[in-house]
Amino acid sequence: MAGGTSTLESVVAEAVFSARGVTKVYDMGEVQVHALRGVDLELFAGEMMVLLGPSGSGKSTILNILGGLDRASGGTVLYRGLDITKARDKELTQYRRRHVGFVFQFYNLIPSLTALENVAAVTEIADNPMKPAEALEMVGLGDRMHHFPSQLSGGQQQRVAIARAIAKRPSVLLCDEPTGALDSETGVIVLEAIDRVNKELRAATAVITHNADIAGMADRVVHMSNGHVTTVEQNEKRRSPKDLHW
Amino acid sequence: MRALDIKLFRDLWHVRGQVIAIACVLGAGIATYVMSAATLDSLLTTQASLYRQYRFPEFFVGLKRAPASVRDRVAALPGVQVVEDRVIAPANIELPSYAMPVSGSIISLPEHAGALNLLHVHAGRLPEPGRDNEAVVSDGFAKAHKLIPDFPLNITINGKKKVFRIVGVVSTPEVIYQLAPGSIVPDFKSYCILWMQREPLEAAYNMTGAFNELVGTLTPGTQVEDVAAAIDAILRPYGGQGVFGRETQISHRYLSEEFKQLGVMATVFPVIFLSVAAFLLNVVVGRLMATQRGQIAILKAFGYSTASVVWHFLKFTAVIAALGLALGIAGGHWLGSGMAQLYKDVYRFPYLEFSLRPGVLLVSALVSIVAAGVGTVVSVMRSAAESPAVAMQPAPPGTYNISLMERLGARWFAQPTRMILRNIERRPMKSLMSIGGVAMSTGILVLGGFWGDAVDYMVFAQLRRAQLEDISVTFVGPVSNRALYSLASLPGVSYVEPTRSVAARLRFEQNSYRTAITGIEPEGRLRRLLNDKLQPVEVPPEGILLTDHLGKMLGVKPGDTLTVELLEGSRAVRQVPVAALVSEYIGVAGYMHRDSLNRVLREGDSLSGAFLQADMSYAPEIYRRLKAMPAVAGTGARAQALESFYETIAKQMLTFAFFNVILASTIAIGVVYNTVRIALSERSRELASLRVLGYTRGEVAYILLGELAVLVFLAIPAGLLFGRWLAGVMAQMSQTELFRVPVVVDPSTYALAALVVAVSTVVSAAAVGRKVSHLDLVEVLKARE
Ligand SMILES: Nc1ncnc2c1ncn2[C@@H]1O[C@H](COP(=O)(O)OP(=O)(O)OP(=O)(O)O)[C@@H](O)[C@H]1O
Ligand SMILES: [Mg+2]
Repeated sequence: MAGGTSTLESVVAEAVFSARGVTKVYDMGEVQVHALRGVDLELFAGEMMVLLGPSGSGKSTILNILGGLDRASGGTVLYRGLDITKARDKELTQYRRRHVGFVFQFYNLIPSLTALENVAAVTEIADNPMKPAEALEMVGLGDRMHHFPSQLSGGQQQRVAIARAIAKRPSVLLCDEPTGALDSETGVIVLEAIDRVNKELRAATAVITHNADIAGMADRVVHMSNGHVTTVEQNEKRRSPKDLHW
Repeated sequence: MRALDIKLFRDLWHVRGQVIAIACVLGAGIATYVMSAATLDSLLTTQASLYRQYRFPEFFVGLKRAPASVRDRVAALPGVQVVEDRVIAPANIELPSYAMPVSGSIISLPEHAGALNLLHVHAGRLPEPGRDNEAVVSDGFAKAHKLIPDFPLNITINGKKKVFRIVGVVSTPEVIYQLAPGSIVPDFKSYCILWMQREPLEAAYNMTGAFNELVGTLTPGTQVEDVAAAIDAILRPYGGQGVFGRETQISHRYLSEEFKQLGVMATVFPVIFLSVAAFLLNVVVGRLMATQRGQIAILKAFGYSTASVVWHFLKFTAVIAALGLALGIAGGHWLGSGMAQLYKDVYRFPYLEFSLRPGVLLVSALVSIVAAGVGTVVSVMRSAAESPAVAMQPAPPGTYNISLMERLGARWFAQPTRMILRNIERRPMKSLMSIGGVAMSTGILVLGGFWGDAVDYMVFAQLRRAQLEDISVTFVGPVSNRALYSLASLPGVSYVEPTRSVAARLRFEQNSYRTAITGIEPEGRLRRLLNDKLQPVEVPPEGILLTDHLGKMLGVKPGDTLTVELLEGSRAVRQVPVAALVSEYIGVAGYMHRDSLNRVLREGDSLSGAFLQADMSYAPEIYRRLKAMPAVAGTGARAQALESFYETIAKQMLTFAFFNVILASTIAIGVVYNTVRIALSERSRELASLRVLGYTRGEVAYILLGELAVLVFLAIPAGLLFGRWLAGVMAQMSQTELFRVPVVVDPSTYALAALVVAVSTVVSAAAVGRKVSHLDLVEVLKARE
């Protein structure tokens, strides 16, 4: 799946994702919820993209579709030239296993495993992972490796989740409100970890947030509203998370 | 160790209470099976080995008297391997410590090496050659009277009383069960079997140089039917009573009927228990897996394939199944060997060969794997099929409705009660499963307890409705009805009813059965024939009445004509119409109008026994007088028969049933605990949120446990009905010649089953209630699985 990219190679920067006319309809019986009403979106190699938009605008939905967690109702999503909307379940599983790192708003750690073991649960099935400890060092948790999720603060748990997402050296890193449950100082630490991974691993990164201030750390900022992409801004300069305040 | 395996063990440890409870449910199911199989196999193996070792004959034939040379003619027949002639004499025994008359049989000792019916000496020794006054006694009798050799005993043979020294206690497969002639239950107290040297016995019984019984074995491949005609032809001139095989030999017949009975219980109980356990395991494991929905989604999100996720959770249940299997096999082995040992004592086997077939273990393992596996795979696949994005979110708020009760007008409930009702209605399948699980375990409790009720009812029907005499008397042979007057004149006797019993073979088409036909009085007060509603059945002047089971075995219905072949007296062969089928729970028999039977026998107004109604405070005197009557061969008392029934037949069934009640309780407790425990883990978030909103611990516990109480309240009556149905199935399946188990469940059995379930609910609820009050609010709300 990671193969045939030649046709897109000519583009200025390689588009890791290219979504065209993506729709998503939740059929609730009596009502149909149109979560996405035709989304066009690119994510380029190595870039940092921030998704902004009001609650219910469809941010999580598009991110889940990009990550192969959910299926679009219509449209195409090309990952390096391959249409993942048509992929079979098995292929999606392989796709997630090889290429995608996820960070969720509510961490979603496995409660019965320690920080290190949570990361190991993913590295064990990856092709070319880092050492779990190394990933935890990257997010500044070298000294908390043997703690259980319930013994960690929210920010620490989120950093374990990031370590877990990056340990497989993913080519895309998808973060759904990684700082949503955190205060600003902890949020900065978490964003620094994401920023660092983006730069060091050159993983194409998409971060969903409600916080417009965070948009400063992005290369590009995508605004969503009511199931559409409304505007896309290109930042002149990427700011370090350290310089962000909210 | 891989991270997921670590997770596996931590998760197992986290829900260890449930793991143990589930393992117990499965273990109890397996244990029932292993126990039953081991007990039965051990008994059958031991029986076979005893028969071989003590050389139990394959055919038997009684006769009046034949010279020793006749034996060789039988021995020369093709198909006959070993023949042994012996003398067997009726006797009366005086046991000073025992009020009732004791009758018995004395058998000549096997004389040659390689003889048949070898004796196992339990205590003392065998009579020595030349010692004319030595005898040994059957161990059943010795045990019943706690007799220890050596001691003197007055024995009357052929009217002559003599003092013998009892020098030993012996057993042999021939007398594992001993029944007095005409009796339907084994009798170890007033019936006795003795052995002595042949010579003095011949002398005492006027049998010098002659014999009156032949036993023998057959060459491999030969059946009794193959040689019966030839042997009968040789013996007919000597009063031969017809060759019969092991299946008609009284001890073997009782034993094999009991084993058959046990075999049915040992099949039906495990099948029911194991299916219930497997079903529950399936449900419980499925629900346990459903609580892992979030974790399944995470693993899927990170690229674990569905197969590897399923495999991971399969390992989880495999541990539970393995634990249950180990518990079941160990427990079953332990109970099985304990029970086999118990039966060894009941049957007084000299030893027991414990046997547990590998196939039993294999089936156990298979059942555990399948039951646990299916539940896991189905449930995990269901979670895994959801898109991870959906599964990972906390389950969306369920769609609730106003509950039926509220719609029906019950609007005064407070919020918590409304929550209970709505929650039950919102997930009817889950509620039904919970109800089903608890109902099933209630049902098997009823099934375990039902045996006691059935036995009591059988006794009630037989000994309080059909057999109403206080004392029964058997004469040495047919006597004239003048004997009735001497019986009626006994002190305390208020009423005497004659009876005539004769051994007969009944044939219908290709079926035949050897039993006794009893001629009874049409207007009998003491011996009545009953229908299945325990209403008296009239005895018609002609025709034969059969117990319904005998009718079924012969394949006859009223109106058919049976061939009746009398095995004594006139030896007449007659066509007799079947007048009716009567209902008897114990034994099988045929009945006729006594006059009609006597006409067939061509014996005028004769009787072979009598039933007495008596004031039992005169019993010692009545017995004393009966002992003195030479025509009286045996005496029975109803109280005695009752006791004997409970001590022998009932005991072996009830022992088995008792073990099963224990296992049923284990299952019930395990199921209830799991139901409660899973309800807690499914709803801990919701409950914690309520606590955050200011609900007290009590209120929150009420919401959880109140729902449970409603479910259990619905499950118990359903379970009692289910148990009643199971009892019917089991009774239907366990019909043997020995008994037909009536489907009777006493209210106390229902009450006990309900109580066990209710108590385990309360105990489980208390345990879970403690967990509710210790709910770590922050942790529960913070952690998204
Ligand atoms: N499983 C679902 N079933 C039905 N509707 C859904 C489901 N998931 C999301 N939706 C709907 O789809 C729309 C988009 O949801 P989505 O989660 O993508 O929003 P979002 O932009 O991430 O919002 P937020 O910022 O609150 O997380 C919403 O209207 C939501 O109600
Ligand atoms: Mg969202």
